[in-house]
Amino acid sequence: MSQRIEFKVGLFITITTVLIMASIGYVFYQKGIFARVHTYTLSSKTGETLAEGMPVVYGGFTIGRVSSLELDEHGTVLIRFKIPERYNRVVRADSTFILEKPLIGSPRIVVTTVNLTGPPLSPAAVPEITVSSDINEIIKRAQPIVDKADRIMGSVAQITENLADPQGEMRRILRDAQKVTSRLSKQESLLEMAVGDPHSVRAIHETLGKLRDIATRADTLLVAAETLTGRTGEQIYGQDGVLPLVRAILHDLQGKLAKLNVALDNINRISGDVAGSTRDLQVLRSELDAVIIAVGDLVAEVDRKIPFKDKPEIKLP
Amino acid sequence: MISVIETVGRSALNSSRSFRQTATFTARILLRLFALRTYNSASRTVFINQFYFTAVQILPLFLIVAVIFGSLVNGMAFQAIKDLGLSDYLGRLLMGFVVTEVSPFVTVLLIALRSSSAINAEIAVMKVNHELYTLESFGIDTLDYLFVPRILSGMLTMVFLSSLFALVVLAVGLLVSSVIFGTGVDAYLDTLLRSASVLDMILVLLKSATFGFFITLIPIGQGLNASEDLTSVPVAVLNGMVKVFLAIVIIEVLSSVVRFI
Repeated sequence: MSQRIEFKVGLFITITTVLIMASIGYVFYQKGIFARVHTYTLSSKTGETLAEGMPVVYGGFTIGRVSSLELDEHGTVLIRFKIPERYNRVVRADSTFILEKPLIGSPRIVVTTVNLTGPPLSPAAVPEITVSSDINEIIKRAQPIVDKADRIMGSVAQITENLADPQGEMRRILRDAQKVTSRLSKQESLLEMAVGDPHSVRAIHETLGKLRDIATRADTLLVAAETLTGRTGEQIYGQDGVLPLVRAILHDLQGKLAKLNVALDNINRISGDVAGSTRDLQVLRSELDAVIIAVGDLVAEVDRKIPFKDKPEIKLP
Repeated sequence: MISVIETVGRSALNSSRSFRQTATFTARILLRLFALRTYNSASRTVFINQFYFTAVQILPLFLIVAVIFGSLVNGMAFQAIKDLGLSDYLGRLLMGFVVTEVSPFVTVLLIALRSSSAINAEIAVMKVNHELYTLESFGIDTLDYLFVPRILSGMLTMVFLSSLFALVVLAVGLLVSSVIFGTGVDAYLDTLLRSASVLDMILVLLKSATFGFFITLIPIGQGLNASEDLTSVPVAVLNGMVKVFLAIVIIEVLSSVVRFI
């Protein structure tokens, strides 16, 4: 019984010990604890963020660690790091050493080697380490964005200020928009909505009425002129006679009225294009002014050449 | 009011007396542990028997617990880190948490529940039955013959079993990892190696040995505190187990402090 217990205990201890030693030995071997180690030295102007045990990384793999930090008599920080034999091939004379300070995570020394077949770095050489700070880089890159954001915020503040101001531009635009929509909601004519003044609309209607009256009067005038055929001679048919003049004026009047019709058609399409309609209204107004002036001139000319008096005297040839 | 103050004072004195006794007993045991004359054929027999009952007898149950526990912990943890997209932290989770924290803790709980209580009761009963006096009357040093082999056995048991537990959990982790992540053996070992720290491994072994030391020392000390009445045996076991649990917590906290600060 005692021997069985001794055997079991001995077997357990042996197997477990072998397993533990094998595991520890494997880790030690893989970590390079038993391997030959090369020590190199770097220099830095500052020892900030540097620490013993800091990883030395090549291509994302930890190839060594900082073993000691020292301040020399010139105030330069000397960083000693150890690289196992199997990783020593990546540390060459042309290798660059960058101290990376990531935003998240611990700082590390990154080794970059362009030519892996180049001469090895001499243990006596003391290359200077370059500092790369993610935080500073990010701040530098973010500064213009922050400036832009600042300007945008300023504009937003101005817009909101304008919106808040009862006399501001935005409020005025909104009031105008409200007027337009309220007018649209009412069943007023588009012309009144466009002109914005009922008196102007009435004036246009009156003008059109007057134009019709003028046309009627012109017709009457032609009829009267026809009755004078054969009686007035040169005064009526001559080059400077009444009829050619009246015809010319009436043609002019007809053309202007045709243009007026086009303008009025455009007003009917005003809902489709407010800007275009506004332009048409301006044309309409100018055309109406021209017609009125032309018709006025016609009347004056006719009055001058054929004075319509209560008892007109017509000189017979 | 006075009685309250007296109670506080009595409690403080008892605690201080108990701490002093434990410290003195610890110092005596440590001295004997490093003394060559402690190790003779009698103590060797006691050591082998104690090691057999503590480490070998429990082995089947212990391995089953390790496999089940490893599957559960690894399954849940791996799934969580996969969902969170933290698969880079797989090695750190296994080596930094499962191996260095969980393995010794689960092992010490199992050993304390099974063996510490048994040692406590055994010593208390020996005290009640005057067996300790009998041994001393025959000139046998109870420290060398009874206590040191048990404590040494506890220390070695903890080191072996917690290491075994870690190895089993890591092996189960390989299976779970290959199922969840589709990781191969090489990639898995590489992940573990990247996170493995020699210092952590040494600390785990030291922590396990410390656990083993106190989960056998405290029950022995409490067993010696038993009176000559049989009714004092359960009281001694109860006090001993409570103190063992407190000791486990204190050692766990101290080891974390040493590891992380």
